[in-house]
Amino acid sequence: MTMFLIKKSDVGKIAEELARDHQVYGPMIEKGSGQTFFDRADDVSEISLSAPIPSNPPKSVVFPQMERVLAYEYDRPKNSVKIEPDYKVEPKALVGLRPCDLAGMLCLDRFFMGQEFVDEVYLAHRKKMFIVTNTCVAPFKQCFCVCTDSGPAASEGYDLNLTDLGDEFLVETGSEKGAVFAAGLGLAAADDSHLARKKKIVDKSISLFEDIAVDSKAWISRVMNRVTTGFVKEEVWEYIGDQCFECGACSFVCPSCSCFNIADVTNPECEGCADRLRSWDSCSYEGYSRMAGGHNPRKPVEDRRNKRFFCKLSYSQMKKYLRPGCVGCGRCAWVCPGDIGLPNVVTYVRREITR
Amino acid sequence: MSQVLNIQDGKIVTVPEVATIEEIRDEIREVKTFYLSIDNREIWSGFKYKSGQFIMLTVFGSGEFAVSLPPSPENDRFHITVRTVGKVTSALHALKPGDKVGIRGPFGNGFPFEEFKGKNLVYVAGGIGLIPLRSSIVHALQHKKDFGRVLVLHGARTPDDLMYKENLKEWQSFEGFETYITVDVSTPGWTGETGFVHTLFDKANLPIDNTVAFVCGPPVMFNTVIGELMKRGLSDENIYSTLERHMKCGVGKCQHCAVGRTLVCTDGPVYTYRQIKTLGEEI
Repeated sequence: MTMFLIKKSDVGKIAEELARDHQVYGPMIEKGSGQTFFDRADDVSEISLSAPIPSNPPKSVVFPQMERVLAYEYDRPKNSVKIEPDYKVEPKALVGLRPCDLAGMLCLDRFFMGQEFVDEVYLAHRKKMFIVTNTCVAPFKQCFCVCTDSGPAASEGYDLNLTDLGDEFLVETGSEKGAVFAAGLGLAAADDSHLARKKKIVDKSISLFEDIAVDSKAWISRVMNRVTTGFVKEEVWEYIGDQCFECGACSFVCPSCSCFNIADVTNPECEGCADRLRSWDSCSYEGYSRMAGGHNPRKPVEDRRNKRFFCKLSYSQMKKYLRPGCVGCGRCAWVCPGDIGLPNVVTYVRREITR
Repeated sequence: MSQVLNIQDGKIVTVPEVATIEEIRDEIREVKTFYLSIDNREIWSGFKYKSGQFIMLTVFGSGEFAVSLPPSPENDRFHITVRTVGKVTSALHALKPGDKVGIRGPFGNGFPFEEFKGKNLVYVAGGIGLIPLRSSIVHALQHKKDFGRVLVLHGARTPDDLMYKENLKEWQSFEGFETYITVDVSTPGWTGETGFVHTLFDKANLPIDNTVAFVCGPPVMFNTVIGELMKRGLSDENIYSTLERHMKCGVGKCQHCAVGRTLVCTDGPVYTYRQIKTLGEEI
């Protein structure tokens, strides 16, 4: 790993340089609403490294909400079928990614590529990706990445990592690709004193988290224990299920949720042609586990709700992700109309423990 | 790519292989058997599977579904047996011999046959539950000397709902194979047993020691049969079943088939009842 310094006024050059051969994505503040979104930047100068946490995770960059994976054509008169993988992959650069969102992407990496079967489409997207993370200097009210080992500073998986030292940014390289790129920028070298300044900034950032996240390190891990060993009472899941609107928002804003649906969509303009599309799905939907014929082994909503929290908090899922499935970004807590984002679920399960 | 990614030599199975429907046979009401072969001869000759595995079948222009493999892994004509339950299976039933379909797979764990050597095998199938068990039954028939008693107990709603009637006759005549059949509701002309499938246990003088049971059928039948088997002293680790779930990808990614901490597509579909009990979900 090598380290460099870049002046605050020059930090935009990183995105500019990457834009030469990448589509650049980053956090941008939407005019009018004032909300931050992680999206494709047509103008890289709009990327804000000081913007609040984006409302959406960067998941859709590597795993689009809807994507064609293959196309086929059944020529009936000739009785022949042509099937071809069909998806668009462009080199993409993610600039200003939050450490929690990077952790989410690492979950997806290990899930899609690190098991018996490799997801061809995800792999293709991921191979062409350049990641620039940005150390979080100011956590937000719902953030709890300190409890899930995913922030406020990234420790692995980035090509470049930026840290705002005040008047300049510390640039750390995390990969061969990142080192080559950083060397090409002609930056001044950084030394251990800068690393020490980074550490102070990270420590200060940690101290800014809500008390519950900092004081009680066992806040989540205790619940992980309970969920893994199955010691959560049915009533607790029912209580949580009663508040679920089955809207699926938690799944869509989650950086590590990756369930998808597949459908063959015929093309009205071409007889026998169809596209196989995959799209995000959510385990909260009633149709998620319903089989053809109507039998649904997970009919009650609580049976589907506890599945999501099982995914985020159980050890068996940690074995797939090599880290907790929850990355502590707090987005599910923002969006849930029933107020059963992960922090509240943790609280309900803990309340049951301490009662 | 970042250094933390550790891509093993994972398999990639996104694109189905084109296959041809060679022949279609009517089984019972709403159920047909489709004899298939993969068009690419090289892939077809290397196409191997285990009893208990499944494939993902594409009906072009309609979709894809998971379907169990009823033929034995050796010396048996490749086929699938499908009931019309929804959109894609209905589209499959509308196809004719010569039409093309797509195949991905085989997927899933299959039955651990090595562990069954020297044991008695008891197959309990309710209705179309005989379909996923057929592969294993024919395999046992082909290797009868490796096993003790082999019993097939099949129950169906009416005599018209009995699956694989020709096979049942054939199995009945095979030496060392014991086949018992019952129907819930008899129709005129039915001279066999009536009653649910577990009522055959006494008549069959069901073995318990050194025995493995395979149970497949609708959830109600499943629970009753398992209860009866356990009551007779068969341990839960010697009761096998194959689970059915809504599946999309077949390779452990879409997560639709999650049951407890497992995925039916990669960890199943074959489970022992001991495993099923720990999943904490409805069958």
